Amino acid sequence: MSEPIKNRFLIICVICSVVAGIVAFQMIRIQNIEGAEKILAASENYQGVTRLVYPDRGSIYDSRGRLMAGNETTYEIGLDLNSVHQPETVASVASSVLGLDYAQVLGYARMEPGNGNPYYVVLDDFVEKDKIVELEIIKEDYENRVAKGNETIPSISGLMWVPHSQRSYPEGTLASNILGFYSYLDRTGGLGYFGLEEAYDSQLSGTPREVYIAFDPQRLTTVEEVPPGVSLILTIDREIQALTEQTLDDAIEWSGSDSGTILVYDPEDGGIIAMATAPRLDPNEYWDYDELFPNPNPYNSAISQTYEPGSVFKVLTMAAALDSGSVEVDTMFNDTGSITIGGATIYNWNRGGWGMVNMTECLQYSINVCMVWLATEMGPDTFYTYLKDFGLDRKTGIDLGGETNWPLKLPGDNQWYEVDLATNSFGQGISLTPIQMAMSIGALANDGRMMAPHVVKSLIINGQQYDVDPVVVGTPIKAQTAHDLTDMLVESLQDEASNALVDGYTVAGKTGTGEIATPWGYSSSETNASFVGWGPAEDPKFLVYVWLEKPAISPWGSEVAAPIFSELVGKLVVMMDIPPDSIRLSAVPQTVGQ
Amino acid sequence: MKKETLTLQAYKQAPWRAQLQWVGAFLLVVIAVAAVAGLYLSISGRSAATGRRIQVLEDDINRLQRENNDLQTLLGEISSSRALSERVGSLGMRQLTVDEAMYLEVPGYVPATGPSLAPPPTIQEERTPILLPEFTDSFIEWITEKLQAVPDPARATEVAP
Repeated sequence: MSEPIKNRFLIICVICSVVAGIVAFQMIRIQNIEGAEKILAASENYQGVTRLVYPDRGSIYDSRGRLMAGNETTYEIGLDLNSVHQPETVASVASSVLGLDYAQVLGYARMEPGNGNPYYVVLDDFVEKDKIVELEIIKEDYENRVAKGNETIPSISGLMWVPHSQRSYPEGTLASNILGFYSYLDRTGGLGYFGLEEAYDSQLSGTPREVYIAFDPQRLTTVEEVPPGVSLILTIDREIQALTEQTLDDAIEWSGSDSGTILVYDPEDGGIIAMATAPRLDPNEYWDYDELFPNPNPYNSAISQTYEPGSVFKVLTMAAALDSGSVEVDTMFNDTGSITIGGATIYNWNRGGWGMVNMTECLQYSINVCMVWLATEMGPDTFYTYLKDFGLDRKTGIDLGGETNWPLKLPGDNQWYEVDLATNSFGQGISLTPIQMAMSIGALANDGRMMAPHVVKSLIINGQQYDVDPVVVGTPIKAQTAHDLTDMLVESLQDEASNALVDGYTVAGKTGTGEIATPWGYSSSETNASFVGWGPAEDPKFLVYVWLEKPAISPWGSEVAAPIFSELVGKLVVMMDIPPDSIRLSAVPQTVGQ
Repeated sequence: MKKETLTLQAYKQAPWRAQLQWVGAFLLVVIAVAAVAGLYLSISGRSAATGRRIQVLEDDINRLQRENNDLQTLLGEISSSRALSERVGSLGMRQLTVDEAMYLEVPGYVPATGPSLAPPPTIQEERTPILLPEFTDSFIEWITEKLQAVPDPARATEVAP
């Protein structure tokens, strides 16, 4: 090799070595400068992205698996400002298809991203699928066009639609007092209000998870699946709920009542089969809440409104008296038409006396004086102990949001007077919610066992279905007392030829007419008309509680509420597959089917 | 003449032979580097394509889940109590009354219990890398793992007869 060539090779080697050395030096220097960590951190952004994934909100089904609350897809419309090429076209399409303001969209579309301006602008949200289909057709049409000469092909590049979930209630107003509603317009901070949506809000929502999605092929991992929220299967039967709501609406219109409540309750396990109140909100349009429920109207009066129940309460007084041994079924009482206690004189509802009556007749004629006598025979300690055992001093704990109760006045309290013992015995001076009444009276229909009222039958958690076990709250009375009282109420309804009787079925029940307290005392013209009944008497499968507030056509529960019970139960027994007595009682046990 | 002397003489007479060896060695290194780089590029390219395909499939899963929700809601609306009542009414049907119902004794009949709505259990996956360890471990790590994976005959457990 000649000398000049050797020198040239040498020079090239030196240059290459120097360049390599500089590169190596620079690599080492960059890794050790002050901002090295920031550069590394910034580079992480190009390796992947961490996203907070919100799971789908759990669905709600009725007792037969029919959807009551679910989710459907809706869209967010936005502008990716880096991708907008024709602001006028974008504004025109957004205006014509979505009804957005042309000038406003054009202003956004002409905005230069960066330097304080956003890169992405949300134009609209909760846009329905049919609008998106229109946009997709326009986009496809523009993309398929071929330019002729100098013609410019229109483009809506930059206009984006991103799908997300929205809460949906396919049944509309049906059972909305039970379901509550979810404020889905707030996509990150939405909350459940009232009913199940409130009581099970955290379970239905599930747990949002941070999921890392790698761009770097070397760091690719399977994206973790985010389990959906808990789904609920209810004790509510949709068809019976619809029947009950229709019956209530008709009853309110027929009687001219202000409002009302009907509860259908399974006394054996405490499950609510139907719970109708008025008015009812369409939870798909929950923003109408303030208009429909001006303060202080409760969302669900069955659990959130207390009232003085009146004579339906007498079944509890009689149950306490029988169970405590203060009286027996055939004990006789001489009703003179009035009784004085604590300096106050109590009269019967008709201001008359019934003479010698037995305990069944005390219930049949709804004799206030008899009830006061029973309470005094028991004494306040025994009487109020029974009321507490019936759970009347606390909330029932039903799994619905918004339950309230009114404190039970007890002997020794500042507000309790001796006359309260008298008035409480026939359901006045004591405020209870319909669900409290249903739960406590349910013990009479279930061999003395009082069950916790509940609406959720099963939960579906991460693909597994878990049944909710019925809970016995207590046994306030003996089974024999419950049977005796049921027999007494069956007899009293039949002897009275009550409007509550149901052809072909033996039912037990009691009417109630509670006077309403006003600033000027109790009003006899404005009443709470109630009826509670259960059946079939020998093995109760349902308990129905009817309450109509301030009926106009008649103040009496026997004339207003009792026929509603009869009408509803006449249809209920068919829907619940309960054959008439003549068939049921002659059939071989547990082999009856429709 | 000794063998070494003959070799030295041959290289002195044709010095290109030594240069050829250098060139050959250099090319060998270049080919080796190119092969490793090519292999790396091939694996990276395939894994990137696989990753992209997985992302597309995950998008499909999300889309199908949304469609499933939409269809369930649509079914709920179509078969809602109000919709069914209207359809039943338009067909001239009405609710059965107690008098019209006919009840039969069916020995052994067991009334239907509540619905079972739980979906099939989802696959509980560990968050695993898509690339096999062979492509991400060093050679020494790979050898170590393979050696650890070889069962030890001395510690073999008894198999039940």
